[in-house]
Amino acid sequence: MNISKTKLFAAAMAVVFAAAAVTDASAALSRKPQDNFIYASSNDPLGLDPALVDDNDSGKINCNIYESLLRFEDNNTNVQPQLAESYTVSDDGLTYTFKLRQGVTFHDGTPFNAEAVKFNIVRQLPENAVAKMSYAGLVYGDVAEVNVIDDYTISITLKKKSTPYLHNVAMMYAAPMVSPTALQKYGNNVSEHPCGTGPYKFVAWDRGQQTILTRYEDYWGEPGKTANLIFRPMPETSARVVALNNGEVDAIDGIDANVIPELEQAGNVILKSTGMSTQYMFFNCDPKKQSVTKDVRVRRAIAQAINVPEMVQSLYKGYDTPATTFLPKVIPGYSDKVKPVSYDPEAAKKAFAELGVKHLSIITYSGARIYNTVGGQVIAEAVQGYLNQAGVDVDVLVYDWATYKNKLITDDFDLGFMGWNGDNGDPDNFLSLMASDDPINNQGMWFNQEYRDLVEQGTAIPDGPERNAIYEKAEMVMAEDVGILPISHPTILAATRPNITGFSIHPIGLTFMRNVVKQ
Amino acid sequence: MLLYFIKRLLMLIPVLFFVSVLVFLIMRVFSPDPATIVLGQAATLEKAEAWREQMGLNKPIVEQYLEYMYNALHGDFGVSYFSNTPVTSELLARLPATIELAVIAIIIASIVGVVFGIISAVKKNSIIDNFTMTTALIGVSMPVFWLGMILIIVFSGWLHLVPSGGRIDSLMKPYDGTGFYFYDTFMSGDWEAFFNALQHAALPAITLAGYSMAIITRMTRSSMLDVLHQDYIRTAKAKGLSAFSVIFKHAFRNALLPIITVIGLQFGSLLSGAVLTETVFAWPGIGAYSVQCILRSDFPVIQSVVLIVAFVFVMMNLIVDLLYAALDPRVKYSQESA
Repeated sequence: MNISKTKLFAAAMAVVFAAAAVTDASAALSRKPQDNFIYASSNDPLGLDPALVDDNDSGKINCNIYESLLRFEDNNTNVQPQLAESYTVSDDGLTYTFKLRQGVTFHDGTPFNAEAVKFNIVRQLPENAVAKMSYAGLVYGDVAEVNVIDDYTISITLKKKSTPYLHNVAMMYAAPMVSPTALQKYGNNVSEHPCGTGPYKFVAWDRGQQTILTRYEDYWGEPGKTANLIFRPMPETSARVVALNNGEVDAIDGIDANVIPELEQAGNVILKSTGMSTQYMFFNCDPKKQSVTKDVRVRRAIAQAINVPEMVQSLYKGYDTPATTFLPKVIPGYSDKVKPVSYDPEAAKKAFAELGVKHLSIITYSGARIYNTVGGQVIAEAVQGYLNQAGVDVDVLVYDWATYKNKLITDDFDLGFMGWNGDNGDPDNFLSLMASDDPINNQGMWFNQEYRDLVEQGTAIPDGPERNAIYEKAEMVMAEDVGILPISHPTILAATRPNITGFSIHPIGLTFMRNVVKQ
Repeated sequence: MLLYFIKRLLMLIPVLFFVSVLVFLIMRVFSPDPATIVLGQAATLEKAEAWREQMGLNKPIVEQYLEYMYNALHGDFGVSYFSNTPVTSELLARLPATIELAVIAIIIASIVGVVFGIISAVKKNSIIDNFTMTTALIGVSMPVFWLGMILIIVFSGWLHLVPSGGRIDSLMKPYDGTGFYFYDTFMSGDWEAFFNALQHAALPAITLAGYSMAIITRMTRSSMLDVLHQDYIRTAKAKGLSAFSVIFKHAFRNALLPIITVIGLQFGSLLSGAVLTETVFAWPGIGAYSVQCILRSDFPVIQSVVLIVAFVFVMMNLIVDLLYAALDPRVKYSQESA
């Protein structure tokens, strides 16, 4: 009896022992507190291969490991050279020639050159991309040809003119350069073995526990100031707050307005960054579905019934700004001349009575999103309140996020909520959504030919006043036809210990940590 | 005995088979389609369709199941839809954390539960009994996440006695080991790390133990009360045996069977993932992870988690049954009786 029990136990243990991943690298890392910057956010990364992920939690880590040909400036999305020292665009606007930086090596020693760039592009071209590469289409979908001109010059020809292209090349999804050697070694998936050219290299990813990076000593630029970066997932906001107050971690994000006073009281520094995203309400205009909101008069009456600034102020305690347009203020093409339908409850009431609208149905999601920290149910109920005051009876159906995304495609409804996080700082990245025939992007299937023509025009014109004017016009068309109701632009909140300097969150939500110093 | 053991192990096969069919059906029929969320905000209908095709989700469900089982029997449990890494490495990286926490919690729960249960039974209706039973009632009723938050705020936030979450300080993590930090740090003699791990485990283990502790206390009490009313206890007392001898040698040993059953089942449920505790304390185990996967329809992960949990429960039942034979001479698993 005893023997068999012991054996059973031994067998069970052996299974687990055999599987325990063995990594030796962290043994050599300094345990000195000032050498380790510990950053807690709410989730573990999905993976560390920039071609295969699209979540911000992965991006925050990846942006310290990887670099792209171009990069965004520190506080905005203007592009600057990074792995490419310079670039030229041909007269027809189709061919981009990049001069690459020399003397750059990947963390595994592989030299960075034109062949490496080509390898990364070819891997994600439509014919080679696996379905999970969700940004491959945006970044490489229009690529017609890639030519290695010499070791440090590469030219990329597009099928059609694309002004957003240079912004796409600076993104942290799909665009970063991965070591071709590593990709070949690990079967075209470096999720667990990331290898880039950035200031920090990968040490270990202990799932659900931490990701450790250490300074890459052969970095081509100015090396990272802190020796090690440690990313810890802590799902509970209040646990993150306690951890920061205790000094167990050096910085946290994913916090909401409610915990700011407590954090300030404990001497922490609060960081605010205007997020490059927009929360909006959409109206069901899908010809294949049942809804009263196909009628622009109903959409206008709904917009008149809702006091957006008041609602945003009360739900987000003044941290998020009420939106007037789909484009956030930081994006070129934003214009304060675009005026949304103004709040006028009396007019709304009258219009609803005239049109015979007595009942509306809202479909929404349950949890919080990056562009809506109070959650989809709360915002839906606020809207329900305004519509009730205007004499309309409203149903609210709440689903978990995954179910909600499917219901949007299949179900009938009148109103729903969504948000968009800017990927690359280009206006087309926002406005093209509502010009799409895809219900995943254009959830209400709002259709306006004039708007679509303007957006189409915008992609082919170089950045500048002429392009901005087109987007201003497009937004005016959208406001006039009440295509969507813009609600808010969120503020990204983070906090650090007082002894931390050089930490910031980029408007696209990334955390470049090369300059972080811990005293 | 051995034959009984083998028979019970063979019974695992139909159990796991039915569980696998059931979970496969539930995931495919009742869970939302993962395609639109797997691809994030860059998804389109076309891309979603391509992804479903690539993942084989467009095939008939029977074919999908047979393919899954064929691969599973060859040790391939698929790749997580979201992280693109094999499910086996996702789960094995997290399993030691869950097992370690469950073991500590069940040890705490059993010791405290049994001791208080015995005291309560012996001193029935006394102040101690009332106090213990009230505490147990609170223990059963208290929401785990609330208890966890309160413990964090008091012991970590105010008193600074223990860290607020995680398993060990980042750079103390033992790498060349089993994944069981207490064992690894103990074997390598890294006492700083050992005590660090102990500090980290204290609050989650107490939180997790709370519910089981209450159940075990109540079960011990009622089982002991039953036995204490038996004639042979009166006889033992009449013989002039010491109170200690009566309680432990005569009463407790006979009261033990239901207690063992309940401890075994509690341990099974602790192992199957302390969902809320793990979330509150950022404990990197399979509990919190599997909930995340259910919410985003990560089919391959959930199928494997459910199979593991079914396996754990069957094994716990088997171990409990085998313990019966060891504890109670009347129970014998001979060929005939089995």
